[in-house]
Amino acid sequence: MIRRMPWWLGAVMMALLLLFTFSTFGADRPLGASTYVPYFSGILFNLSPEKYPYLKEVHFAGAWEGVMLLGALAGGFLTSVFITKSFRFSIVPSGWKKYKNSSVISRLVWSFVSGFFLIIGARLAGGCTSGHFLSGMAQTALSSILFGAVVLASVMITGKIFYKSEAN
Amino acid sequence: MIERILNMFTTVSNESHGSLLVVLLIGVVFGGIIQYTRIDKFEKIAGFAMLRDTTIVKLLFLAIGLASIGLYFMIQAGYASYHPKPLILGGIIVGGILFGASMAIMGKCPGTGPVSIAEGRVDVLVGAIGGILGGLVFTVYYDFFHKIMGESLGKITLFDYFHGHETALILVFGIFLSIVSFLIPLKQEFDEADLEQLKN
Repeated sequence: MIRRMPWWLGAVMMALLLLFTFSTFGADRPLGASTYVPYFSGILFNLSPEKYPYLKEVHFAGAWEGVMLLGALAGGFLTSVFITKSFRFSIVPSGWKKYKNSSVISRLVWSFVSGFFLIIGARLAGGCTSGHFLSGMAQTALSSILFGAVVLASVMITGKIFYKSEAN
Repeated sequence: MIERILNMFTTVSNESHGSLLVVLLIGVVFGGIIQYTRIDKFEKIAGFAMLRDTTIVKLLFLAIGLASIGLYFMIQAGYASYHPKPLILGGIIVGGILFGASMAIMGKCPGTGPVSIAEGRVDVLVGAIGGILGGLVFTVYYDFFHKIMGESLGKITLFDYFHGHETALILVFGIFLSIVSFLIPLKQEFDEADLEQLKN
């Protein structure tokens, strides 16, 4: 059994999923995956949408993505258990050990900090890989094309500075 | 809190953007594709940052190329509509830099992160807690962040510059991105620990 879907087949599937999401017989909206985070923050910290205007702004998009995310968790879990067989608990990724260090503390601290700024960044830009890159660029939106260019540059520059050029 | 979680479901089912089941299924397929192509792996995303793995860019470019053409003709046929995001220069440039740097270090983005958590990655769960705090800070200090974002220059798309040539534009755009996706050389960085599990 093939445990990995080739990149081009994944692209075809992702394009079809995107078209279904956009279509009137699907959800009639773009596919996004970062608005749910402030929405969940609002729920967890019990913030009132009356007091925080941003929560009012994301009231529907956050809920839609929240439900979508529950599906993604289920889809990711089932696929990892039955198809890719990659389900296991781990803390430090193999690639981190290879090109950064073997420290659990280092990985967890960096993960926490980058998780924090990942969401600040996505919410400043108004989207992420799904909302801007996939959904936005498929609509030829200038905002998304600019976002794509800035992100690609930032990812590659950070990668060059942050990781070692040779494997440990 | 339970009340607000239930409210999430009623909000979705009360709007006409897909029934609860449809939205959940979109998520299941989304998570399934991400997991099956392994693009949620640290080795794929951080690997791309190190230019050791090109799976993600190839997949994204081809998906955008195909979807852009498909979406255009679906809209022509009346089965969908465009919902472009506004061009906010400050937000997109500052946000894009922060997002890209964080993505390279974490090796995840907000869509692939949860899929990694679902396959047992504890470090990503810790990152998600950071993300939830990021969402909290953004919500509470929205006034401050709004100033960085700047004014919207409008929901501009490439179509605005090619009036009368929309079909040609989208075909060139879509085919160009698809060709680029095949021209980018395929480089792959694997996680040895995952490959070990496959042998069993």
